[in-house]
Amino acid sequence: MADLASDLDPKGNTQTARAPGQGSAASTPRWVRVLGTIMVALVLLFVALHLAGHGFAGHTPLTGGGRQP
Amino acid sequence: MTMTPRLRKLALTAHVTFSIGWLGAVAAFLALAVTGMTSQDAQLVRAVYLAMELITWFVIVPLAFISPLSGVVSSIGSNWGLFRYYWVLVKLLITILASIVLLVHTQPIGLLAGAASNTTAFSAELQSLQFLMVTASGAAVVVLIVLTILSVYKPPGTTRYGARKQHEQRARS
Repeated sequence: MADLASDLDPKGNTQTARAPGQGSAASTPRWVRVLGTIMVALVLLFVALHLAGHGFAGHTPLTGGGRQP
Repeated sequence: MTMTPRLRKLALTAHVTFSIGWLGAVAAFLALAVTGMTSQDAQLVRAVYLAMELITWFVIVPLAFISPLSGVVSSIGSNWGLFRYYWVLVKLLITILASIVLLVHTQPIGLLAGAASNTTAFSAELQSLQFLMVTASGAAVVVLIVLTILSVYKPPGTTRYGARKQHEQRARS
């Protein structure tokens, strides 16, 4: 999922993740931990909302008739 | 498996095009969802939900599969790899999650489109689906922007697998 024409190859870059080995492999970067925590929280919220019936689960199709794709 | 520079550029161009197209289509969907929820014009609301169903099945769902697929091809074909850098791995995981959530939400889109083609007034249950469409597509826009930011900024961090590969490459050279 590499993007942008100038970023075809990590070896030619000088910033952030672009320089191989620049990021420490010994520990997970802070941004990964923060983003991971947010993602897990959102997934749990999504599942909880749907289980609680605030999503569309449990809705009977239509009062006025309808169809599904 | 590293592609030639020309092929890599082609794969990257395809991936950027599909990804930004996905973001644009979801943004258009959000605009329609807000219109459908807030407009007092019954005809406009019906047209909006019929259009949303078409956009979903003919643009958003195909792009939700093609965009990550093109990203996987692009990363595998370059030295970035798929599992070597956290930003690539995180992008992949978020994209898979977003695609699953999208597929789950195609059901209420179908319900709303069905109601739009058959009735003039929406029930209370359908009104909650209208709100769900706005929140879900709004969240999707945010997620896709986060993916774009990751692609551009490429925050630092090499996975253990990536570090091992680098070590092997250095040992060979």
